[in-house]
Amino acid sequence: MKIGLEIHVALPTKSKLFCGCSTEQVDTPNINICPICMGFPGSKPSLNEEAIILAKSIANILNCKIRDKISFVRKVYFYPDLPKSFQITQLQESIGYEGLIIIDKGKRINIRRIQIEEDPAKIIRSEEYSLLDFNRSGIPLVEIVTEPDITSEEELTSFIFTLKARLYYLGIDIDREIKADLNISLGKERVEVKNVTGTKNLLEAARYEIERQTELISRGIEPTKETRSYDEKERKTKASREKESDEEYGYIYEPDLPEYNIKNYSIRETVDPIEKAKELAEKHAYNPKIILEAIAFDRYALDLIERNEEKYNFNSLMQAIMEIKRFKIDNIDDLSLKMLLEEIEGGFQIDKDTISSIIKHEKVKHSDFSQEGIDNGIREFIEKNPDILRRYIKNKKLADYVAGEIIKRYKAKPKEVLKRTIEILNSMTGQK
Amino acid sequence: MSSYIEEFESKVKPKDYYDRLYDELVRLNPRLNAFNALIKPDKNGIPLSVKDNICVKGIEATASSKILKGYIPPFNATVVERVLKTKRFSIIGKTNMDEFGFGSFGINCEKPAKNPLDEERVAGGSSSGAAIATALLKYHVAIAESTGGSISAPAAFCGVVGFTPTYSVISRYGLIDYANSLDKIGFMARSADDIRVMLDITKGKDNRDPTSTDSKIVGLHHKKLVIIDELIDKVDEKIRSQFFEFVEKLKNLGYTVKNINLNEIDLSIPAYYLIAMAEASTNLAKFTGFKYGFKLNDFSKNYNEFFAEAREEFGTEAKRRVILGTFIRSASVKDKYYSKSLIIRKELIDKLSKVLKDAFLISPTMPIMPPKISEANSMSPVQNYATDILTIPPNLCGLPHISFPYSYSNGLPLSAQIVGSQFNDYGVISFVSEWEKNFEYKFKYNIGEI
Amino acid sequence: MEDKEFDRLLKISRIKLSEEEKQRIQNDIEGILRYFDSVDKFNEAKIKPAFHPIRIEGHPRGDKIEKFEDKDSLLSNTKTYRGFIIGPRI
Repeated sequence: MKIGLEIHVALPTKSKLFCGCSTEQVDTPNINICPICMGFPGSKPSLNEEAIILAKSIANILNCKIRDKISFVRKVYFYPDLPKSFQITQLQESIGYEGLIIIDKGKRINIRRIQIEEDPAKIIRSEEYSLLDFNRSGIPLVEIVTEPDITSEEELTSFIFTLKARLYYLGIDIDREIKADLNISLGKERVEVKNVTGTKNLLEAARYEIERQTELISRGIEPTKETRSYDEKERKTKASREKESDEEYGYIYEPDLPEYNIKNYSIRETVDPIEKAKELAEKHAYNPKIILEAIAFDRYALDLIERNEEKYNFNSLMQAIMEIKRFKIDNIDDLSLKMLLEEIEGGFQIDKDTISSIIKHEKVKHSDFSQEGIDNGIREFIEKNPDILRRYIKNKKLADYVAGEIIKRYKAKPKEVLKRTIEILNSMTGQK
Repeated sequence: MSSYIEEFESKVKPKDYYDRLYDELVRLNPRLNAFNALIKPDKNGIPLSVKDNICVKGIEATASSKILKGYIPPFNATVVERVLKTKRFSIIGKTNMDEFGFGSFGINCEKPAKNPLDEERVAGGSSSGAAIATALLKYHVAIAESTGGSISAPAAFCGVVGFTPTYSVISRYGLIDYANSLDKIGFMARSADDIRVMLDITKGKDNRDPTSTDSKIVGLHHKKLVIIDELIDKVDEKIRSQFFEFVEKLKNLGYTVKNINLNEIDLSIPAYYLIAMAEASTNLAKFTGFKYGFKLNDFSKNYNEFFAEAREEFGTEAKRRVILGTFIRSASVKDKYYSKSLIIRKELIDKLSKVLKDAFLISPTMPIMPPKISEANSMSPVQNYATDILTIPPNLCGLPHISFPYSYSNGLPLSAQIVGSQFNDYGVISFVSEWEKNFEYKFKYNIGEI
Repeated sequence: MEDKEFDRLLKISRIKLSEEEKQRIQNDIEGILRYFDSVDKFNEAKIKPAFHPIRIEGHPRGDKIEKFEDKDSLLSNTKTYRGFIIGPRI
């Protein structure tokens, strides 16, 4: 099985690739528009330098060779969402080439090419017309083209995860759905699934297509070379309509733009979260997978770890990070963090009240329970729910449930409560 | 005559000057088809006409194409902005042209232009209207445009001065593109001094046009003139002899003349057309009948049928060039035609730069006298293209050049063209300034005379 | 040029021709291409292509927002529905 991808990623610039219109996502259509991104006759493109810096940085993350000089081409095709009926993109002189990315289990996925290009407009299909919104037209994109090195669904998942995590640390917004073309061949011929939006759909489209081709091959049929599209509603790939097949792009050099010497453009500093997770894991003898999960799409969490890894026990710190994520705490200050860690290390349950207290720097209320107090709490609960004893005999795990209820109500230390609950239940049911 | 602009600004204009100007042009226009639109200006600056492929905010721009009928540009071309900013000019109209610039005679449009000196003959193209306006009006300058000779040819046929600057000197922002690596905005006027004024106002880098530059423009007035034999051989016998008489006059003014061979020059026409058509076919792709200009209202069609039907508004020459341009760009022949032509361009630029280091190229502007309109209509495309042989080399190579009358024969002008090295724009203008000290142009019309 | 090739070109460039125009233009194109074939004679492999007649150094612009003030003048050139621009169906 060979899978290759062509992924389009929108760059987080303030203005569009070739004009000064804002790239901000807005609800009202046709607000961020001008003669250039609408392709008015007489308008000319003007290249945004931030797009070069970001594209160069992406090429760097993907270990690509980066060209000193770049230029652009016109890719000509007719569609209502393409204002000039050509897209300004790159071909030979693309910004990056021959790169690679390492995914899970050390597998290498080679990157063929990285190119800068402009987004077409947004098109809404209606039965009688197309409705067009040019807010999107001219947004800067980077297209990442991989070699067909992915050989399984797991590798595909890992590739997407790794790429997204690396891009996140460049400031690339993973919430703006990425768009991809998927090339899958299980047989000899390559099937292209075009214009899949979002990672969830990408994985589903791949899954469906793998099944489809496998099924054909099992019946002795060779899957034909073709272009397909992904139907989100039905979760299937389908043979594509005519649009893709006959078009000849007739590329020429973009004569409204000169060659650009980009040698001196700096590359943005960025973090490789996978490497970081490994580093931290080794340093603190912790599970790298858990660290990665915490920091892959959360710069703030990484920052917290790095600022506090020497101050506190790492295990507790990681637990604190989980709680911070769980309760969606935006900006925890040093004192609050210290208090949170105290609660964790004290073995206390963390709940909404705990969080609200520590944020206000107020002392967290614990029930000052004596042994007696906890025992009474347990016995009261059992009295109110008598069939617990009967159920406990059959299933010892019920102790956890009972203990949990007590802990919730009284905010007592979990371990102690559980211990006492088990002891009491045992004594009441005559067990050991 | 040094500067009509200065003369106009020094005179007191009668109160109804522009009304009368407008009325006279309205009267003449149906006969000559110089203007696509006539405007009564509200200011009293020097009358200025703008070729209809250059955008003026709020005024229809059609590039003489039916597919742009109704297009109201929401912005001014940079060249127009710079001129209007001086507050010295008043726009009196948009001038007629060959559709999108496709033509050398001014007849590839709905209303073919007529030569004011002989209305049965062509005015030249593609800036036909600009040349006619300059030939009609005493006080006036025209903003025009050249891709392969579209300023030189009509200027030559109508007997006015037509200047095309070095590629990149004047911003193309706001110019409806024919071929982006060949288009240049330039001017027509009745004197070289007026050309100089316009160049001063409009030259220089524009951030909106990345191909514009701030390279220094020089004024080297060489005394050495070069004639390329392969080019002069293609000129009509009658014109050639008169041209040589002119060259003798120049020798008497202190110029030396040298003949050289440059056999690759013959490749300049096919190389030019191959590049121009390839680029043009992409520039015309944006016209699809719904965003601006002509709007097809039939939404029963799907987009492919819709686009094809809307694009029936193109004239025949436009269709021919789009089809050819698309062919030239196709993968199977691209290296053969398009890539080769780009190499030929480089070769010619290098060779001509050497020659022009210390000299100007000189030739007649056109190889023929302005043909009758009926003759022009029956010429084949290849015959048409071949008439550009003298104007294409400087246009392909982005060299500054200027056409000006040197004599008259049976009421029709004979014009010559001077070509300089890249960025020696003021040099070629100087040459003509000097010529004008020794020769007075004749004008049949002097509308707007004070 | 073969009919099939010519028809393909018409399709790609979204150009429709009447029978008469088709005959005429197809004919013209044959002549024009023969004339253009002469560029093949030129055989200098060492020369680089000139994409522009002069050397131009590209200077990108800074990433600043510049609003186009007169949006109405853009939209008034076209047909709209609830703020969307209307185009042919796909």
